[in-house]
Amino acid sequence: MKKLLVLAIILRLLVSAFYFHPDIKTYNFQASFFKKGVFNIYSYLIDNKKSLPLKDEFVYLPLTYFVLGGYQTIASPILGSGFDSWLANAGSNSAVRDPYIFKYLLILKLPYLILDILAAFLLMKFFDGEKEKKKAFMIWLFNPFTIVLIYVFGNIDVIPVFLTLVAFLLFKKDKLLAGSLVLGLASGFKMYPILFTPFLFLIGKDLKEKISLVSIPLVVLGFILLPFASQAFVQSALLSGLTTRIFSPGLPIGFNETIIVGLAAMAFLFFQEMQFKNKSNPLKLWASILLAIFAFSHFHIQWLLWIAPFIVILIVRYSKFSWLVFTMACLAFAIPLLYEDRFMTVSLLRIYSTWYDLLPTPFVVIERFYDPYALQGVLHSILAAGSLVFIWGILKKREI
Amino acid sequence: MKKLIWATTLFVLFLIFVLPGLMALLIDFVPAEDQPPYRVDEKVSVYGKIIISQEFVSQEKNLSAIGISLGNPNLKNKKMISLNLYDAQDKLLRESNLNGQNFEDGDFVKFFFPTIADSKGKNYRFTISSPEAGPEEVIYVFYTPQAPSWMGHMVVENQIFDGATPFVTFHKPESRLSIVNKMYSRFLPFLR
Repeated sequence: MKKLLVLAIILRLLVSAFYFHPDIKTYNFQASFFKKGVFNIYSYLIDNKKSLPLKDEFVYLPLTYFVLGGYQTIASPILGSGFDSWLANAGSNSAVRDPYIFKYLLILKLPYLILDILAAFLLMKFFDGEKEKKKAFMIWLFNPFTIVLIYVFGNIDVIPVFLTLVAFLLFKKDKLLAGSLVLGLASGFKMYPILFTPFLFLIGKDLKEKISLVSIPLVVLGFILLPFASQAFVQSALLSGLTTRIFSPGLPIGFNETIIVGLAAMAFLFFQEMQFKNKSNPLKLWASILLAIFAFSHFHIQWLLWIAPFIVILIVRYSKFSWLVFTMACLAFAIPLLYEDRFMTVSLLRIYSTWYDLLPTPFVVIERFYDPYALQGVLHSILAAGSLVFIWGILKKREI
Repeated sequence: MKKLIWATTLFVLFLIFVLPGLMALLIDFVPAEDQPPYRVDEKVSVYGKIIISQEFVSQEKNLSAIGISLGNPNLKNKKMISLNLYDAQDKLLRESNLNGQNFEDGDFVKFFFPTIADSKGKNYRFTISSPEAGPEEVIYVFYTPQAPSWMGHMVVENQIFDGATPFVTFHKPESRLSIVNKMYSRFLPFLR
């Protein structure tokens, strides 16, 4: 097992160093202001937009800023003196040609590696049998999907994903209030874990506990967000495309009224659990909520990491779903790769050479003989159907 | 589980060592240099009889295309945009046309033409025009004072600008393998 762990780490280090998505540079540039004593990054970036080399707003929640900024402060002796000027370099070609880019990427992705490996150990705690523990550990470490999500796209989602996993482990161990608290903390990095809050009402044993469970994450998130309450924060983080996209798809029913598909799916899950189940399984519910969202919304590839550890637990438990899950994972990966965004595909290789920018994206290639949006629709429809089957399959299983 | 470990290990090795080479085989033309940086407010209008002219010395052989950033505000220009390439004796060598409806405001547009094999070190001049466009269908050509010396001056209606339009020349590589070599040469110095 130790040898396999070493192999898993080596594979991750290789991908970390050789694949670069510009988002990691952008949000680390923003987090670098923490070292300079900036507290409210949202208003700082908007107020200083004209003079800053990178104009993007900070779209994550405050804990992301503090944790990344804090990590940069600790790691700055290793990162070296050229790091800040690399972050601030707006020249997309000269930034990837920087001879220290490998070092920067390895160091910036190191916290992700630590959380990723810890998640593998955490997953083992969801099982009692040694065989199942080992299976969960191996599937997490040796599935290509999470390696690509974490180390190619290099986004921060692994932090809230890890905390969400901790929260659900606490729920499993019947430490509901502690789990609820950790879920609130996870929401302080990215908003999505707060989607589970209404469902905490279902797992509380009595009304007092139910109300406490629902309140805790909201209060924790409120405390995190309150110091930043401003127009700049609302505009940058709360109303950013990624935050609102979850609930954007709707079915018009006339007279300007719309059924919000994601919300309707969540409400359906809530009511069916409340009506037909004596005891709810938080983990199955969470996986179902996320699958319903992915099934019916235009998702960012990074979102797929949110569900990954929970899917591992479910397929270890119900191995007959393995091929369905594998097919769905391939589809879920294929859809964002067809977006009209070269940093989803060809330009991820820019560390090797900026010449890859000359290649057409899969979107452009497909456009020559078929409508790429239609193809996305076809794949997404199949994914939606597979997701519904999976949700139905896991929810009908009685064991918790 | 062994199959999964093998498959993922091979997948990662493929991503790192094989995929860049395979993708490199798909590259048809390579740029001589990067596009010089420019500001979007430093621009000149092109329409009707207004033509921009730009001199340069080709840095590589097999000159095959010229890429340039063009402004097409509100996508109003749907007329022909022409690039004419002349040699040092002002003889028209190549002509390449695009329609304004094929690009959006600020797009980097490539004008392809039949390859000029012995282009390295030779002087050329290209012009950009949109003769059928009226003042409402203007396209913008940017200019920058930060251009390298091999890019000569930009000239518009006999006015010589302090700088050049930020363009890129593209060249047909000698072979596909030479591109693959180039891709790995950053990590394997003996390939340089």
